[in-house]
Amino acid sequence: MEITTTALDGVTVIKLSGSLDGNTVNAAQEMILPLASTKGAAVIMDLGACAYISSAGLRLLLMAAKQMSAIGGVMVLSGLSPEVQDVMEMTGFNNFFKSFEDVPSAFSALTTVKKGA
Amino acid sequence: MLRVDLHPTHDSDCGKFKLRVGKPLPFGATIVQGGVNFSVYSRIATSCTLVLFSKGEQKPCATIPFKDEFRIGNVFTMVVFDLDYENIEYGFYIDGPFNAHEGHRCDKTKILMDPYAKAIGGRDVWGKAPDWSDAYQHRARICFDDFDWENDRPLETPVEDLVIYEAHVRGFTRHSSSGVKHPGTFSGIREKIAYLKELGVNCIELMPIHEFDEFENSRISSASGKMLMNYWGYSNVGFFAPKAGFAATGKLGMQVDECKTMIKELHKNGIEVILDVVFNHTAEGNERGPYISYRGIDNKTYYLLTPEGYYFNFSGCGNTLNCNNPIVRSMILDCLRYWASDYHVDGFRFDLASILGRDQNGAPMHSPPLLESLAFDPILGKCKLIAEAWDAGGLYQVGSFPAWGRWAEWNGKYRDDIRKFIKGEPGMLGAVAQRLQGSPDLYSWEGRGACASVNFITAHDGFTLYDMVSYNDKHNEANGENNSDGSNDNDSWNCGVEGETEDPAVNCLRIKQMKNAAALLLVSQGTPMILAGDEFANTQWGNNNAYCQDNEISWIDWRMLKKNRELFNFFSQMIAFRKAHPVLRNRAHFQNRDYMGSGYADITWHGQKAWDVDWSPESRRIAFLLCGHHAKGGTVDDNGIYVAMNMHWQSALFELPQLPSGMIWHVFANTDAPAPQDIWQPGKEVELADQSAFMLGSRSVVILVGKKTR
Repeated sequence: MEITTTALDGVTVIKLSGSLDGNTVNAAQEMILPLASTKGAAVIMDLGACAYISSAGLRLLLMAAKQMSAIGGVMVLSGLSPEVQDVMEMTGFNNFFKSFEDVPSAFSALTTVKKGA
Repeated sequence: MLRVDLHPTHDSDCGKFKLRVGKPLPFGATIVQGGVNFSVYSRIATSCTLVLFSKGEQKPCATIPFKDEFRIGNVFTMVVFDLDYENIEYGFYIDGPFNAHEGHRCDKTKILMDPYAKAIGGRDVWGKAPDWSDAYQHRARICFDDFDWENDRPLETPVEDLVIYEAHVRGFTRHSSSGVKHPGTFSGIREKIAYLKELGVNCIELMPIHEFDEFENSRISSASGKMLMNYWGYSNVGFFAPKAGFAATGKLGMQVDECKTMIKELHKNGIEVILDVVFNHTAEGNERGPYISYRGIDNKTYYLLTPEGYYFNFSGCGNTLNCNNPIVRSMILDCLRYWASDYHVDGFRFDLASILGRDQNGAPMHSPPLLESLAFDPILGKCKLIAEAWDAGGLYQVGSFPAWGRWAEWNGKYRDDIRKFIKGEPGMLGAVAQRLQGSPDLYSWEGRGACASVNFITAHDGFTLYDMVSYNDKHNEANGENNSDGSNDNDSWNCGVEGETEDPAVNCLRIKQMKNAAALLLVSQGTPMILAGDEFANTQWGNNNAYCQDNEISWIDWRMLKKNRELFNFFSQMIAFRKAHPVLRNRAHFQNRDYMGSGYADITWHGQKAWDVDWSPESRRIAFLLCGHHAKGGTVDDNGIYVAMNMHWQSALFELPQLPSGMIWHVFANTDAPAPQDIWQPGKEVELADQSAFMLGSRSVVILVGKKTR
């Protein structure tokens, strides 16, 4: 799995490519959790190139999102494949996330919220 | 907080793993900081070895013996550090005595599943043929226990307000006509929540969802040539794990989350979940059965054995779980507590529950400790406990199951008496009067009340409602046993033609008989239970024992909903009527007197003449009047409700009891009338033209409401 981050107008885009599972979740956690402990951070988790997310992976995403919202930040998802979307629905994880089709639409939603505030 | 026990103290013999002594409780595999705590009980083991596999691999990736200092009492426990616990499976080798005569069957060559496994692999996708060369068929897995329930909790719906709907997870949506995205799964049930709400039921009772092996005793039917499977699933592999093959995400190992999400969504929609639990035996069968877990871990603890060391067979399935052994008792309690607290399950229905009251020699006990523990358990304190109060060893305890004010029963006598009444047998009025009142003859002792009676006319075991009015005899040929399996006592009547027919008169009568059944069930005191699919006349073509039929025989055919919309409407209005009228939902039995000073007793009996019943054996006509002022013991006010039943083949005039002045009889339901005049929306009943008498058609039920005219 590959993880890249880019910053754009105060929003951090984390792109996960490959599978987010037991083998890769620790590496991902090391990247994501520091961001999740920055107050007021806005993160787009770009999963457009992520083919599979395991239980541990879903838990990492949920934990990061909860941690961020607890300190005034926000994390949204983008580019979920239909399969990943489906698994998230069946396991209830979709209830906890705002999800967007792609990075630009996630970005515009996040920046609109910011401007509004 | 820093803890000093976060660090390993030992290396495994192979040098690959860091270890330390574990905690003996809880049993099973528990994720702890830095590793996994394994704990397993065996009183007779001389040694125990943890066996680890990469998910799905046949060969172990490691074997780690429990060191001597890792055993405390009869429990082997250790923490293994740095495990990729999402991708491993584990089991145990247990060495100990093999002496069948003494009841010991240890075999250190067998890989044994953890009795406390919270997830079990090996049958991840329903019906996918297993690799029989694999020595470890049912593979314990480690699962997360951090599901986010948000503000959900068990609903605690008062038992008298429940309308239970019995369904099989797979059969409910497996048919192509179900229209769901993931047929035959927990997710499929979620997609049918809107339907359940439209019907109006507020509790779904799921046939076994603990991990079982659909391939147990699988075979090709000599009659149909089709594969016969262990479809119903009354044969547990593991008690703590949801059936992976019932989850669309089972192939990804996410069945736990999918099952919990289903329960959370059902709760959000006001629907409780009751699990059908099978603690009477396991899938290990008799002396010739496979080693899965229990027999290799501690045979004598887990099973009832004859003095010669053979398995007692009170379950009819090869072995009998030793339920009143203290270890097994604890396991059952741990299991139910786990499902109640970790899965937010609202209640349990215990299959062949009488076995749970047998002692270690198989003799029925007066005050069985297990049943008492369950009745008084703090965590199960608000759970519904429902017994199937008999077993295959001849114990029949309907009405006498040890209850401590907590246990309800599947009322088999309700089913039998109401069926006989509906088909028109003579001499039924006395019994039927008891059944309609919540069987005080069975349940008035020790104040058990009307809701000790779970009333049902049909259940998974036996004919569907449609088949009950379409077949005189069972037709189980497809089961491959020359139609010798299944009950012969069906109390059914085919309305003149055996099976499917084009005869409109017969089909019309069948619809009417099904409406009669729905009407009686939903005006009876006690807790009603409906078999899924009966509300639109689902058929099993006369098969009354479809335990092995994973095909159209068992799968609910949703096309019938469109075809039988009239029957569905009747059921849903009857359920709505029950919900609208507290006088139908009393927790206590009637007192047969007027303790509210209303001028009417809480219940009064009538016949063709008001206040006068012909109780003679040839009479098949009876009516009752419920006084609304006595609803729920007089604590709430309701309308008066009059129910007249004519199960004779000739129509008859029923004189109506007089209402207090200002009150008028309105018709809510008349099963003899063609739709849409057969039933009205509660609150929109039509005023009756003749207030003095009602002409009931043959084999029909009429329900009237006495209320002020608008």
